[in-house]
Amino acid sequence: MQSQKTEARKSEWEARLADIKYTLHLLRKNKLVLAGSILSLFFIILGFLAPILVDPKLAYPEGYPGDMYPFKRKYMWNANHPIQWGSGVSLYAGPEFFILGTDGWGRDLFKMIILAIPVDLYNAAIITIGAALFGTFLGAIAGYSGGIIDEALLRITDIFFAFPGLLLALVFAAMFGRTIETLRLAIMLVWWPPYVRLMRGQVLSEKEKPYVEALKALGAGPFRILFRHILPNSIYPILVQATMDFGGVILTFSALMFLGFSPSPALPELGNLAADGYGHIFDAPWVLIFPGLTMLLISLSFNLIGDGLRDVLDPRLRR
Amino acid sequence: MKLYEYVIRRLILLVFVLLSVSVIVFYFARGFPTGIAPWAPYIHPKMTAEQIEEVKRAHGFDKPLVEQYFYWLRDVLHGDWGLTGAWAQGRPANEVFFNHFGYTVELAVAGTILTIIIGIPLGIISAVKNNKLPDHISRIIALAGYSTPAYWFGFILQLIFFYYFYLWGLPYLPSSGASDLGTATITRIPIIDGLITGNFAYVWDEFRHLILPSFSLAFISLGFLARIVRASMLEVLRQDYITMARSKGLKERVVIYRHALKNALIPAVTLTGIFFAYLLGGAMITEYVFSWPGVGQQALRAVMQGDSNFILLYTLVFAIIIVLANLIVDVLYAFLDPRIKY
Repeated sequence: MQSQKTEARKSEWEARLADIKYTLHLLRKNKLVLAGSILSLFFIILGFLAPILVDPKLAYPEGYPGDMYPFKRKYMWNANHPIQWGSGVSLYAGPEFFILGTDGWGRDLFKMIILAIPVDLYNAAIITIGAALFGTFLGAIAGYSGGIIDEALLRITDIFFAFPGLLLALVFAAMFGRTIETLRLAIMLVWWPPYVRLMRGQVLSEKEKPYVEALKALGAGPFRILFRHILPNSIYPILVQATMDFGGVILTFSALMFLGFSPSPALPELGNLAADGYGHIFDAPWVLIFPGLTMLLISLSFNLIGDGLRDVLDPRLRR
Repeated sequence: MKLYEYVIRRLILLVFVLLSVSVIVFYFARGFPTGIAPWAPYIHPKMTAEQIEEVKRAHGFDKPLVEQYFYWLRDVLHGDWGLTGAWAQGRPANEVFFNHFGYTVELAVAGTILTIIIGIPLGIISAVKNNKLPDHISRIIALAGYSTPAYWFGFILQLIFFYYFYLWGLPYLPSSGASDLGTATITRIPIIDGLITGNFAYVWDEFRHLILPSFSLAFISLGFLARIVRASMLEVLRQDYITMARSKGLKERVVIYRHALKNALIPAVTLTGIFFAYLLGGAMITEYVFSWPGVGQQALRAVMQGDSNFILLYTLVFAIIIVLANLIVDVLYAFLDPRIKY
C-alpha cells in the first residue's frame, strides 16, 4: 500500500518533470527568450555582486545632511569623452575618468547604476510576489467557494479595478510617509486584482474536472484539494502573469521614486537617479538617459521571458 | 439574461463601486497628516473667528471624520465639490477639473489613434509572418514599448526633437505645454476650438505641441495592442473557414484582410476601448513630463499638496469612466460577435 502510494506520487512528479522539460525545450527554440534569460540573469548576478564591486558607502557623499544638497550641483562629463552632448555641458578635466559622467552629487553615475540594480530588483521581486500571492489566494478562495463569498470578493476586486492605479499608490505613499515599506505596500495594493480574476477563472475550470470529484469522494478537505491539487495544475498562467508584471512593477516603483516619493534623494535607485536629471535634461542629459536605459533593459529582459512563456504555455498555441 | 437586464445590473453595480471608491478615498485623503485642511480654502485673513466657525459648521468640518463623509456626500449631490487649495488658486474643484479635461481628451484621442495606426499593422505582420524575422522585429518593438519607462521616453523625445533638432538647425518640435497661443475657452478642447473659430494658426500650433506627447503615449501602449492582435490573428488563421477560403484559391491578401482580420480585431476593440478610458483619466506621467495641462497633471499636483477635494473628484470621475468603458465594450462585443450572449 505504502509503496503503491509512493510510486503514484513518483510517476506524478515524473509527468510534471517531463512537462517542464518539454516547456524548456520549446523555450530554447525561441531566441528572444534566450536573449531575455541571459540578460535578466546578467542583471540578477550583477545585483548580487553589486555591493562587492562597488563600495556602497560611495552612494552617500561626505557631509550628507539629510535631504539637503551640501553643495551646488555639479554634473560633469569628461572633456575627452568620445560622446559629446553639445553645448551647455559642464566638462571635467581631472585625473579621474567617469565612463557615464557624474550626477549632481559628483558621484560616478556608472557605479551608482550598479548599486541601484539590486535595490530595484529586490523591491520589485517582493512587490510582485506579494501581490501574486495575495491575489492568487483570494482568487482561489473566490473560485472554489462560489456563492456569496465569490460575489463579495469579485465586487471588492471591481472596486480596485476602477481606481486610477498610480494615483492610489501615490495617495497611499503620501499618507503613510515616504519609506520603502510604504512604497512596496502601495504598489502591491495596485497590482493584486488581476491575479484574483485569473486564479478564479482557473479554479472554476479545474473544479469541474473528474479528478476533483474523485478527491472529494475520497474525503479530501477543501484546502487540500485547492492548494495541493488545483493550484499546481493552474499555476502556469499565474507564473506568466507574474513574469510579465515584474517588468511593469519595476517601472512603477521607479516612476514613484521619480515623482519624488523616494525616502532620500541620495538613495541609489534607478528612478531616483533619473529624477536628479529632471531639471537638467538639456545641460546634463546623461543623468537621465543612462538610469532610464538600464531600467528599460531590465524590464525588457523580463518581458521577453514572460512573452515567450505565454506563447509556450498557451494551450491554444502549444503545438 | 437579456442585454438590457445586464446593462441595468451593471449600472446598479456602478453606484455601489462609486460609493465604495469614495469612502476609501475619502478616509485616505482626509486622513492626510500633511494635506491641505479642507476648510483652509474657504478662509481669508479678514474673517473673524466666528465666521470661520460658521464655515466649518456649514460643511461639517467640525464633526468627526466618520460624519464628515456624509456632509461631503450631501454637498456633492448638490453639485458642490469643494474648493481646491492654493495650487489652483482656491477655485472650485469641478471648475479646475473641467478646465483641464479638454486637454486630456485631446491627448487621449491623439494617443489612441496613433496606437491603432501603429499597433494593429504591427500585430498583423507579426501573426502573418509568425516566427520569422518580421515577427521578431515587431515583437521587439512591442515589448520595448511596454518596457519603456514613460518618464524617461518623454524626455528622450524632447532631447532629440526639440533640443538637438534646434542645435542642428532642423525644424524642431516644441518640448512642453499645449500651446503658445493662449488657452481654449469655448469647447475647452483646443484643436476643436481653433477649428470652430477658424484660427488655423492656433490649430497648427496645437498640433505641433501634440505630436511628442501623443507619440510617447502611443509607443508605450502599442505593444499591448500588437500582442493582442497577433494572438487573436494566430487563432483565427487556424480556423476551418480560413483553410476553406485558402483552398478555394483565394489570394493570401484577401484571406487575411477580408476574412481573418474582421474576427481577429474583436479583442483589439475591447483593449482599445479600455485603453482609451485609461487615457481619458489622464496619463499622469506623460502629462507631467510634457507639462501638458491635462487632468492627470492636476491630479499629481493635488496629491503632492494633499488636496482631498480634487483627489476625490478625480478618482470618482476616473472610476465612472472605467466602469462605463467596460460596460460599453461588453455591449459592443455582443454586437460584434453574435455568439456572445449575456
